[in-house]
Amino acid sequence: MKTLEEIFCRQPETLNEALTLLSDEATRGVLLSGGTDLVVQWQAGAVPMPEQVIDLSAVPELKEISAQDGCLRIGACVTHAAIRNHALTREALPALVAACASIGARQIQSRGTLGGNVANASPAGDASPALLVADARVVTASLAGERCIPMNEFLLDYRKIDRHPDELILRFELTPCPQGGIERFCKIGTRGAQAISKVMGACRVVMHGKDIQHMALALGSVAATAIRLPETEKLLAGKTLCEELVDEAEACVLREVHPIADIRSTAEYRRWVSGRIVRGFLESL
Amino acid sequence: MTQQSDGSFRIIGRSLTRSDAEDKVRGKAQYLDDLTMPGVWYADVVRAPVPCGKLLGLHFDESFDWTQVVTVKPEDIPGENIVDMTGLDMPFLAYDRIQYQGEPLALIAAPSKALAREAVNHVRAEVEELPAIQSIQEMVERHKTGLADSLRLLEKKEIRRGDAEGVLAGAGKVLEGEYWTGFQEQLYIEPQGMAAEPMESGGVYIRGSIQCPYYVAPELMKVLNLPLEKIRVEQTVTGGAFGGKEEFPTLPGGYCALLALKAGRPVKMVYDRHEDILFTTKRHPSWTRYRTALAEDGRIAAMEVDMILDGGAYTTISPVVLYRGILHAALGYRCENVTVRGFVYASNSFPCGAFRGFGAPQAYWGLESHVEDLAEQAGLGPDEFRLKNCLQEGDITPTGQHLLTSVGTPAVLKEALRRSDFHAKLARCDQGRPGAKSWYGIGVSFFAHGAGFTGDGEAKFGSRAAMELGRLSDGRPGLTLYASSTEMGQGAKTVLAQMAAEGAGLPFDRVFYPLPDTRVVPDSGPTVASRTTMVVGNILYHAGHKMKCLLEEAAAKHCFGGASVRLEGGRFFAEGVEARPFEEVAEVLLAQGEPLRTEHQFALPPHIRWDQERFVGDAYPAYSWACNVAEVEVDPLTLQIHLRKITAVYDVGRIINPTLAIGQLQGGLVQTIGYALMETMQVRKGLYDANRLQTYIIPTALDVPEMDLQFLEYSCDELAPGAKGLGEITMNGLAPAIGNAVRRATGCRLCAIPMRPEDLYATLYQGAKD
Ligand SMILES: Cc1cc2nc3c(=O)[nH]c(=O)nc-3n(C[C@H](O)[C@H](O)[C@H](O)COP(=O)(O)OP(=O)(O)OC[C@H]3O[C@@H](n4cnc5c(N)ncnc54)[C@H](O)[C@@H]3O)c2cc1C
Repeated sequence: MKTLEEIFCRQPETLNEALTLLSDEATRGVLLSGGTDLVVQWQAGAVPMPEQVIDLSAVPELKEISAQDGCLRIGACVTHAAIRNHALTREALPALVAACASIGARQIQSRGTLGGNVANASPAGDASPALLVADARVVTASLAGERCIPMNEFLLDYRKIDRHPDELILRFELTPCPQGGIERFCKIGTRGAQAISKVMGACRVVMHGKDIQHMALALGSVAATAIRLPETEKLLAGKTLCEELVDEAEACVLREVHPIADIRSTAEYRRWVSGRIVRGFLESL
Repeated sequence: MTQQSDGSFRIIGRSLTRSDAEDKVRGKAQYLDDLTMPGVWYADVVRAPVPCGKLLGLHFDESFDWTQVVTVKPEDIPGENIVDMTGLDMPFLAYDRIQYQGEPLALIAAPSKALAREAVNHVRAEVEELPAIQSIQEMVERHKTGLADSLRLLEKKEIRRGDAEGVLAGAGKVLEGEYWTGFQEQLYIEPQGMAAEPMESGGVYIRGSIQCPYYVAPELMKVLNLPLEKIRVEQTVTGGAFGGKEEFPTLPGGYCALLALKAGRPVKMVYDRHEDILFTTKRHPSWTRYRTALAEDGRIAAMEVDMILDGGAYTTISPVVLYRGILHAALGYRCENVTVRGFVYASNSFPCGAFRGFGAPQAYWGLESHVEDLAEQAGLGPDEFRLKNCLQEGDITPTGQHLLTSVGTPAVLKEALRRSDFHAKLARCDQGRPGAKSWYGIGVSFFAHGAGFTGDGEAKFGSRAAMELGRLSDGRPGLTLYASSTEMGQGAKTVLAQMAAEGAGLPFDRVFYPLPDTRVVPDSGPTVASRTTMVVGNILYHAGHKMKCLLEEAAAKHCFGGASVRLEGGRFFAEGVEARPFEEVAEVLLAQGEPLRTEHQFALPPHIRWDQERFVGDAYPAYSWACNVAEVEVDPLTLQIHLRKITAVYDVGRIINPTLAIGQLQGGLVQTIGYALMETMQVRKGLYDANRLQTYIIPTALDVPEMDLQFLEYSCDELAPGAKGLGEITMNGLAPAIGNAVRRATGCRLCAIPMRPEDLYATLYQGAKD
């Protein structure tokens, strides 16, 4: 049985150093950001403790939030607390801010990072739906260069992401919520804090009066990865919001999701409440 | 009315800072795992791989070097392979039949935890698996359909008053209800931990995180083949217990003792959280069925109750839990015809055990949910029905006990209804109103808890405690108390010292309550059954009074030239001379070298009568009474249940330390929020499915609502200074109060706890529960 102390840990201070370590199989280690997923998984025996890790927390490029070319860049090692507090994210990504503020509680938000949340690739990762409705792109990097992958393609399957062994997630690029746009986030947890989601959802909407100009909807914990709801979005986009439309949208969601039962909830409730979350979003507009 | 507030106490009734606070806050308290034990080895357990089966053989892998470790197999046990609890059906190490998954088959000690675990992994149990019983639903199904003989019955008991069956048979309408509760994990912060070392004089010294030092030795006598006096047991600082460290520690205590005696060195075992959740006791899952007939005038004509508890694999203390369960299952309302039948059946899961409330929370989930339906049938509000029918001074309980003294009902009920503005709010309940943004509901529950051992248990037990004048750790004179009661976070160390100091007429800081060690303390009984403040407090109060007399006599002789002396508030007074402080006089007395020691033995009020065979008589020396009001908002969009406010009014007798009492109440209520709304585990493939803090969901600070808490002090004057039980009644009634509120909010009665949005969804929209 291995202990935490026996893991060999390198802490690169530049991006290049990190990528160099990753490029060589001999120095390649498990990437460690805040450790709030990894350490728990090691201790629980869900994942074997690795021989070596690369601690990314000292690489400055990974910790930046900036606005460039009309998009918002969030480094992979930016903490949920930083996203919660930063003026740029608060202004442009209210659903993501709300999602990050719902993760664990203050302690976890201060250590856990956006990159860790996405790379952990749990369907219950709270940040993913908000990233999906912001049309996020994931930028990965290796010594060979950068790749830019749309978020919905990056999430391959249950606990699988499109990352090559010599790559790390560099940053996320997000489209800000447009002027007059509305974002919502909703989390159904098991308790008031420190709750893994039973179901959570996010939406981004642009309205003109009662007319829906743009509608992006995403849910988590209802499939192997967080998902957009293309059918429901199609149903709503370009329509005038009314009671019948809300009923139709709720019914459409039920056709689009096929959740499973696990220790946190039942398949039936998850499916039903998915529709209710979307109803709640629409009724709040 | 016996309500009174006696202003004559100096120390009782004051919120003194708990005496263990500083050490705990500064991190100085030494829990078992903090203690250094030179040469210590670590224990681990080879566990059964199936929930039910026949053990064909244990194979020790020859590729492993077994000389590095010490093993204990059934044939290495020096005495009888038996855990000596209420029943004698549990072997220490299973050798033939396996009754639960994880049952110990062999023990291993090694110089490191890792090596011990590695050794365990090199043992393979060969088993023939047999069909297992793994849920209370299955048990109840068999019980109802006449297949009870296919179950192992661990205990049954009946209470009878009048002729409930006869009245029900002739009644026009009989109201029926069935109610279910599940497992609950105690989740003390400090996990289970025990250590043992051989003593030079022969025998074994066992230490650990325990509630009941005097349980361990008698329960291990048989297996260790040692006389009582050769098993010394000492409590280490204990970080929470809630019943989980009542009978359970005997098991790890025994593992360590067997290994330590064989290895000839100290052996310890500290569970990690995962192991602690998987392989320790839980609250008994229960089923209750009520059948009740109302009289024309809205009174209860007859009530018949059946109660089944899932005992887990072996008897352990389940009979006692059942007794408390059935004694509370119809306790609350006037009724001349009552039958309560109780059964504990065995299943193939870890033996269930003690948990704060001890059968009473299960009983009240049934009774107080059912009473809500009775009120409706009677055409009365839930408040009116309870006020009309609740037991009051002079009334008679189902076992025929006359409630004569310290009866805080209907006062608790009236006060809680008034404070919460219950009646007005009742009219505002939404009952699942379509179109509402939020469904509001309010619910009430009324309940009791018998304090102390059942019946004449306290009289038979004859708890004793003592105190002696000596020097405290600060080098100054003071009293050291000797009793086996344990501080486990609840504040016993502080309140017992308060009562002793009050009796002795000394300042609080001159009285010290140490961690009990069976080598030096008399048996004041286990720290269970909401008895410690009432019973052991009473003993120490009287022993303190004897000490005061002794000190006055000695002071008179040695310091006041024979004049008559009075000790009060830490000063000795005599006619015509200046008062002298306790410490100055005590120095003189200590210099005399005569031991100044007093002892007292508990005596029940003489009128208490109990027939254990027929379950008739005075079931408890005193009862605490309480009323809980819960207000909820259910979100119609998601069916999430938000608990908004708790109003709780309690009569627990005299309050010894108000801050600690409120702390107990808050803690118990929060633990019940989890029981009512979140905490769920099931046995799947032999083991509890929720087996980590990630999956076993307990409340956080954000789940705790506004609380309005009030004590009404109906002092129990027969047992000075008048405290009754507080620890457990905090968990008896909140679940049904919330259930009743949820019903008024949604129009939907949930019959099982925890009540989750999934259950509301299934009941409201899916027709039936899956
Ligand atoms: C008590 C508690 C409560 C929690 N509550 C929530 C909750 O409410 N909602 C929620 O969604 N999660 C929750 N979590 C999970 C966790 O905190 C979050 O997922 C967090 O965002 C993970 O980030 P991290 O930096 O700690 O990841 P780490 O544990 O460091 O890493 C997680 C994974 O990401 C990989 N990784 C990290 N950085 C990179 C990178 N730059 N490139 C590629 N791969 C990378 C790691 O190799 C690992 O596989 C909780 C955890 C705990 C312990």
